[in-house]
Amino acid sequence: MIKDLVCALDYSNCAEVALCLFFIVFGAVLFSSLRLSRNAVERFSSIPLNEQVEDPRYE
Amino acid sequence: MTIAVAHEASPSKGHGIQQEDQRLETFSYDDQISRMFVGATIVWGVVATLVGLIVAVILVMPSLTNGLPWFSFGRLRPLHTNAAIFAFAGNAIFAAIYYSTQRLCKARMWSDTLSRMHFWGWQLIIVAAAVTLPLGITQSREYAELEWPIDILIAVVWLFIFGGNFLMTLIHRRERHMYVALWFYIATIVTVALLHVFNNLVVPAGWFKGYSVYAGVQDAFMQWWYGHNAVAFFLTTPFLGLMYYFLPKAAERPVFSYRLSIIHFWSLVFIYIWAGPHHLHYTALPQWACTLGMLFSLMLWMPSWGGMINGLLTLRGAWHKVAVDPVLKFYVVGITFYGMSTFEGPMLSIRSVNALSHYTDWTIAHVHSGALGWNGFMTFGMLYWLLPRLFQTKMWSPRLVNQHFWLGTIGILVYIVPIYAAGLMQGLMWRAMDDTGHLMYPDFIETTQSIVPLWWLRVLGGIMYFVGVVMLAVNALMTWVTRPSTYEVPVFSAPRLTKEYEGREQPRVSTLENAPVLDAAKTLDVWAQMGWHRSWERLPVKFTVLATLAVVIATLFEVIPTFLIRSNVPTIATVQPYTPLELAGRHIYVSEGCYNCHSQMIRPIVAETKRYGEYSKPGEFIYDRPFQWGSRRIGPDMAREGGKQSSFWHWTHFQDPQNVSPGSVMPSYKHLLEADLKFNAIAPHVKAAAQLGAAYSDADLNDTETVARKQAEQIAADIVQQGGPAMTFEKQAIALIAYMQRIGTDLYRTETPPAGTEPQPTSSELPAVAISLQGAQE
Repeated sequence: MIKDLVCALDYSNCAEVALCLFFIVFGAVLFSSLRLSRNAVERFSSIPLNEQVEDPRYE
Repeated sequence: MTIAVAHEASPSKGHGIQQEDQRLETFSYDDQISRMFVGATIVWGVVATLVGLIVAVILVMPSLTNGLPWFSFGRLRPLHTNAAIFAFAGNAIFAAIYYSTQRLCKARMWSDTLSRMHFWGWQLIIVAAAVTLPLGITQSREYAELEWPIDILIAVVWLFIFGGNFLMTLIHRRERHMYVALWFYIATIVTVALLHVFNNLVVPAGWFKGYSVYAGVQDAFMQWWYGHNAVAFFLTTPFLGLMYYFLPKAAERPVFSYRLSIIHFWSLVFIYIWAGPHHLHYTALPQWACTLGMLFSLMLWMPSWGGMINGLLTLRGAWHKVAVDPVLKFYVVGITFYGMSTFEGPMLSIRSVNALSHYTDWTIAHVHSGALGWNGFMTFGMLYWLLPRLFQTKMWSPRLVNQHFWLGTIGILVYIVPIYAAGLMQGLMWRAMDDTGHLMYPDFIETTQSIVPLWWLRVLGGIMYFVGVVMLAVNALMTWVTRPSTYEVPVFSAPRLTKEYEGREQPRVSTLENAPVLDAAKTLDVWAQMGWHRSWERLPVKFTVLATLAVVIATLFEVIPTFLIRSNVPTIATVQPYTPLELAGRHIYVSEGCYNCHSQMIRPIVAETKRYGEYSKPGEFIYDRPFQWGSRRIGPDMAREGGKQSSFWHWTHFQDPQNVSPGSVMPSYKHLLEADLKFNAIAPHVKAAAQLGAAYSDADLNDTETVARKQAEQIAADIVQQGGPAMTFEKQAIALIAYMQRIGTDLYRTETPPAGTEPQPTSSELPAVAISLQGAQE
């Protein structure tokens, strides 16, 4: 059954599917990053410089 | 959070000490483990650059080693690359991770014992590599040379000891948000583990030899999936994590754009994993895979430069510090080299550029601009920042730091500029043709000799860089000498993270709440606020799983078609398994690291087919475990070497290459002429090959020694007939000659026809006739 399934699969579009998949996920990440609030950006980026623990670091 | 100070003589118990407030805990950081890795980084940095210098000298003065096998270029070059990558850069990564992770998590490493086991386990691996590689115990697969027992040790130390300790530290952290540097570390740990395990699957043929489960094209694909991503996830992502932590610390200002760092991270994780096939342009790898690799390599340029710009712009408003702070100078040059290398990498992945650059010194220059400039200088910057803090004293000589910077910078330039020129020269000379369509430089040695003066300049650049590393070692040693008798250990207190964080988080409200829109629009608006992504960034296990999935899915998109479409590797009817003696000879070829100078892949390019013969076909390599296509031609390609020279010529060539090839830079392999071949040790190799699918007769399997001796005697008789010495049949060189005479000949093999059958096609017709595209229609 697995062999039949594998034989029936069409790999010829693999590269195109991969590219589409990449662009979808990349778009989501880009969108996610741009939606990050300025307040959150400032708090997150200051973590290495700050010896103090802030919990929670609300956005 | 409050801070107190204790002394190391009375160490704190680390995390877990409950205060009056049940949620408040005291803890201190384990800086001793960072000190240990910093020390190891410097020691192995000296070793790696020294061995690099030695191999550079051996290349221009091959007679220097006087035929000593342990010091041949083929054996020492992997030692140099392994020392530079896994010993020098590896220990630097660990120093950075142990120091920064604790501070970013506001937590001590989860287990001090695991930290120590990691340190000593990793040093044991390095020492094992330093012993086995010069002894010729190697897989001869670039950056994955170590044999299977060491590979198992690496997997255990990396994944279970280091990875387990790191993940548990994340789980027990006191800082809710995982800073972006930690993301890079997570990606490094999971991806390197994945690459290492799947690339090194072997069938053992003894304690010191394993045969890859992949063969030929598939082995090449897996190896460069590993090789390229070793650069990505061992030499890039952890150093970017290092950059995102140590650069803001040194510049005393936050990273320029945290948003850009998020995009940088996910882009690299998604894109890098696809790019490996660009190392195999014009080879027998299917073209679709190469095109995909090239496309993703070109896309890599954008996030890489995004990262570089993010790094350099972190210094906005602080450039006046760069002029006086050598740490920042190292970072600025290191990040600039990152930008340069990551621009050049995608450029080299373009097929037409790759046709010129591949197998030449251009690749070596590219690699060294990345390794010396990016990895080296980022490491030096980190070390000079860490040394006074870890040893709680001033740097012994700030002036020496400055001198190291300038000597190192000039040393890199003196190294790479001539090697770029050498690469271009050699690439152009290989393809140069006159008006009549003949090669202008048909003698390969002529192309090598023309770049030897440039190799001398490389030695000069290497000396300068090496002296810089020695300056670092002296400065570090003298700084260590002036350390206090006991280190102060700051003790911090902070509350443990609450488990019910999710419940305390404010429910997100749509900005469209009062707008006259559908509920679906409001739901979409809440989703678009990306609270779900923020929660991923707080959950280390989920984040690790997602990063792993991104890597695995991308890998499977390339691996599955490569392995399952049979037409990718058309079967050639005349290609047969190696005989036992040839297999033993191939083992010697692999052990001596011949792939470091000789490729076995003739590309379908006119200049190559004119120089070497018929281009290589995928089906020719189905019994090659490991593949030996190589990535550099210091000597000519070997793919059609079989039958080109007499066996006596090879014997003489191994004895003294300059005798039959004046001007050759190949060292003498006279030890192969003197050492006896262990015929009784061939059987495990044949059995392993048979286990992996090669068809061997009962005699081959059960009476291996007799079969091998018979072929050896035949070759020894040929040597005598050709005017050579007698009684050579028991020498190792005979096995190697058997293999050399076999390489690339199967394509032209003609079986003796049974009586009364039709005559076979001539050898010139065979390539087209013999290739049967079984399964091409599937």
